[in-house]
Amino acid sequence: MKFKGVLLTGCCGVFVVGLLAGCATMPDTQQPPVVDQGVEATIPPDQPGGQMPGTGTTQAPVTTQPPAVLALLDRAEQQANTGDLGSAAGTLERAIRIDSRNPVLWHHLASVRLAEGESAEAEQLAAKSNSLAPGNRALQARNWQLIAEARRSRGDLAGARAAEQRVRELETR
Amino acid sequence: MARRKKRGRRKSRRRTTRRRSLGIRIVTIMAMLLAGYLVFLDFHVRQQFDGKRWSLPARVYARPLELYVGLALTPEQLASEFSALSYRSTAVPRQPGQVSRNRGTFHIITRPFVHSDGQEASSNIRVRIANGQVARLDDAGSGRPISLVRLDPVMVGSFYPSHNEDRVLVKLEEVPATLIEALIAVEDRNFYRHSGIAPKSIMRALLANIRAGGVVQGGSTLTQQLVKNFYLTSERTVTRKLNEAIMALMLEWHYEKNEILEAYLNEVYLGQDGQRAVHGFGLASHFYFGRPLSELGVEQTALLVGLVKGPSYYNPRRHADRARSRRNLVLDVMGEGGQMKPEQVAQAKSRKLGVVPYRKKAINTFPAFLELVRRQLERDYREDDITSEGLRIFTTLDPQIQWHLEQVLDRRLSGLEQASALKGDTLQAAAVVTSIQGGEVLALAGDRHAKFAGFNRALNAQRQVGSVIKPAAYLTALEQPDKYTLATLLDDDPLTWTAPNGTTWSPNNYDRQFHGKVPLYSALMHSYNVATARLGLEIGIKPIISTLQRLGVDHDFRPYPSLVLGAAELTPLQVTQMYQTLASGGFRAPLRAIRAVLAADGMPLQSYPLRVKAAVKPATVYLVMTALRHAARNGTGRSLYQVLPESLDIAGKTGTTDDLRDSWFAGYTGDRLAVVWVGRDDNGPTGLTGSSGALLVWRDLFARLGDTGLLQAAAEDIETIPIDPVSGLRADTGCRDAVELPFIQDSGPAEWAPCADGGSQFQRPVDWFKELFE
Repeated sequence: MKFKGVLLTGCCGVFVVGLLAGCATMPDTQQPPVVDQGVEATIPPDQPGGQMPGTGTTQAPVTTQPPAVLALLDRAEQQANTGDLGSAAGTLERAIRIDSRNPVLWHHLASVRLAEGESAEAEQLAAKSNSLAPGNRALQARNWQLIAEARRSRGDLAGARAAEQRVRELETR
Repeated sequence: MARRKKRGRRKSRRRTTRRRSLGIRIVTIMAMLLAGYLVFLDFHVRQQFDGKRWSLPARVYARPLELYVGLALTPEQLASEFSALSYRSTAVPRQPGQVSRNRGTFHIITRPFVHSDGQEASSNIRVRIANGQVARLDDAGSGRPISLVRLDPVMVGSFYPSHNEDRVLVKLEEVPATLIEALIAVEDRNFYRHSGIAPKSIMRALLANIRAGGVVQGGSTLTQQLVKNFYLTSERTVTRKLNEAIMALMLEWHYEKNEILEAYLNEVYLGQDGQRAVHGFGLASHFYFGRPLSELGVEQTALLVGLVKGPSYYNPRRHADRARSRRNLVLDVMGEGGQMKPEQVAQAKSRKLGVVPYRKKAINTFPAFLELVRRQLERDYREDDITSEGLRIFTTLDPQIQWHLEQVLDRRLSGLEQASALKGDTLQAAAVVTSIQGGEVLALAGDRHAKFAGFNRALNAQRQVGSVIKPAAYLTALEQPDKYTLATLLDDDPLTWTAPNGTTWSPNNYDRQFHGKVPLYSALMHSYNVATARLGLEIGIKPIISTLQRLGVDHDFRPYPSLVLGAAELTPLQVTQMYQTLASGGFRAPLRAIRAVLAADGMPLQSYPLRVKAAVKPATVYLVMTALRHAARNGTGRSLYQVLPESLDIAGKTGTTDDLRDSWFAGYTGDRLAVVWVGRDDNGPTGLTGSSGALLVWRDLFARLGDTGLLQAAAEDIETIPIDPVSGLRADTGCRDAVELPFIQDSGPAEWAPCADGGSQFQRPVDWFKELFE
């Protein structure tokens, strides 16, 4: 319940279809998250995100998400959608142990922490995700959006506006 | 006389009445006392039974092994995991906890397990390992691929209360029906019918005892046996026997048969493990057979039931013949009761006892790691809770790495002693291995003999750190990109610094030479002391201390200039925390040994989630990492690549202290970080530098970890420029020994080196990835 409430206040969605594509495989033309309208995104079962072709990368070969990581993401999504945020975070940590430099996993963990009300933690995790995603502007924009929400939730309005400015820069670049 | 007599008679009559009323009073008081006593007993019986009945030690688990395609793993490692988990090797696995192996292919039925984040069901899987990794993971039934399977974790230790009680609690429904039927058939046929005591059996026992002139027969019901174990001492007196009977009746009055039975199954005394009594079938099953009750064969179950009569007399490890005949007797009773067919009985009787060899406890297999766990627990729990509430503690320990580390230390230290003609056991060591991004402690050694639970050097030995501290000084400098870059020339000419009090300090290089002007990255790569000392004096010691604190080193540093050369005493764990922050790209993650703590009933009590904090800019850390990578490739760490593959990307720093007292190496790959210290407890000289001591331990360790990950990726504000190392200026095709160095955007030198032709045609692509393999 609490989770839904957070979602509906305009929080960046915990799980977003496109993000599953991974850092290096994210097209720069990615649409903003559907969850902004308060709709919970789901992963279509016939479209595992890891197989999306990579564009707009500046480094590292295109890698697909290992099935183990996809399975855990799937599970974390289910847990988050039923409001079991603690378990979702635990499952994401499992995924991070397997694929520790995957910035998408760190982004999701940040989202779960934000939904849990841990805004400071969420901001740090989003920054970590950014540090692992050089060149991936779509993911960086999402992370800055999340940082903006984290800052706003603790009353740091100036900080939130600065973060939103970063989002705009990343989206127009 | 007559009067006297009369008076006497009157008196005696009065006395009789008085005596009578006294008698009534005494009887009344006695009755009241008795009633009071009974009320007390009743209270005692119920309170004990309702409340927590046993103090349960905390169980400490290693990380569960996650199997998935692509996991770096050898068949031997997987086999050792199953051996540590006491999986039974069979031709064809039929039930959980069984495994068969054909070279690199394993067929496994995993055990179900309640992990900190929920239940993992049993799965029937086939795993094929090839070329050092899991190549296939399939469902053994359907043959379909499976993405991920989590095994049950190895139990690596327990925290016992001071009175050493231990138990593996079992619920009635988890206990095999054969065990319960056999127990009732052998010990108390009328258990479900009597009211706590069985007068007929008592009479029979009494007669037998009178005939024998001593106590030879018990005649106790299971309820009485429970009362005896539970509430009373084992002395054999009439009062105790009476108390036992009363309390047994009370128990039966208040509680269901099955509740009493479950308590019995967990309480009955079944053996002795050194100082520790083995209570309950759950623990006994592990103690004698190394596996849970649910996985026992019928003959093993029968042996446990047989032990109830006298665990010491029938001890299967000491008196195998007695134990066998007792077991066979139980099997016969089971056959008579119709639980087994005669041929089954015969077959079971023909089997071996199946008892695993007694392992000299080995209470805690990994004492040094367990000390770290305990230290972290003590922040959140009271001592009593840790040892008696049955906490289930899920840790980060990776037994595969821990075993390997222990072997490496043992062999390498002996080798070092031989090589430098030191007496055996002169050297000591400590090591910490962590995962880079999560800051999880994967392995830890506090002594070269890792099983020795003595002084834990990893946590407690404060040793001079020498050059391993230098990256903090360079990091502090590089945080001012307008003043310092990797190409900035530092002065490595003789230096004498005069303190405000007039004392002087003249640092020396290890090779006793001075190197003139050297680029910053090269000074760190070769660990030049004089250039570093000068740099430290320029940027100031206080900013360096603040950097160390940001990196996570919790220590009260003295602000002396010699600090930049490592004149500070830190524990290996503190050094690990410092490098952890560097290795993870500037995000500090407090080192964790615990993932979660669950209450005995499986309720999550505490999780220790992954936390990170941006401590240093990733771009600055990237610069330091580049210098440390050069150190590993071509500097103080170059002997790493005599053994390790060129493709393995390593950043590392050696440390050597005065008179070769301490030998350090701190290094990381894309996956793992390890810090190793080698030295002597008496702080005497070891004859070892960081390179000739600790580095070799580190190298042995990583030779088998299977790491393949790449080091930190360049941040977006990093640009790479070819540099002439002599001048520290821009190089082009005219320069012979140009080296590509990363710079924070716009901080690189604008000027061309003397060797360059003005850079007309030099346009090499910026490619950090490629450079790694050069």
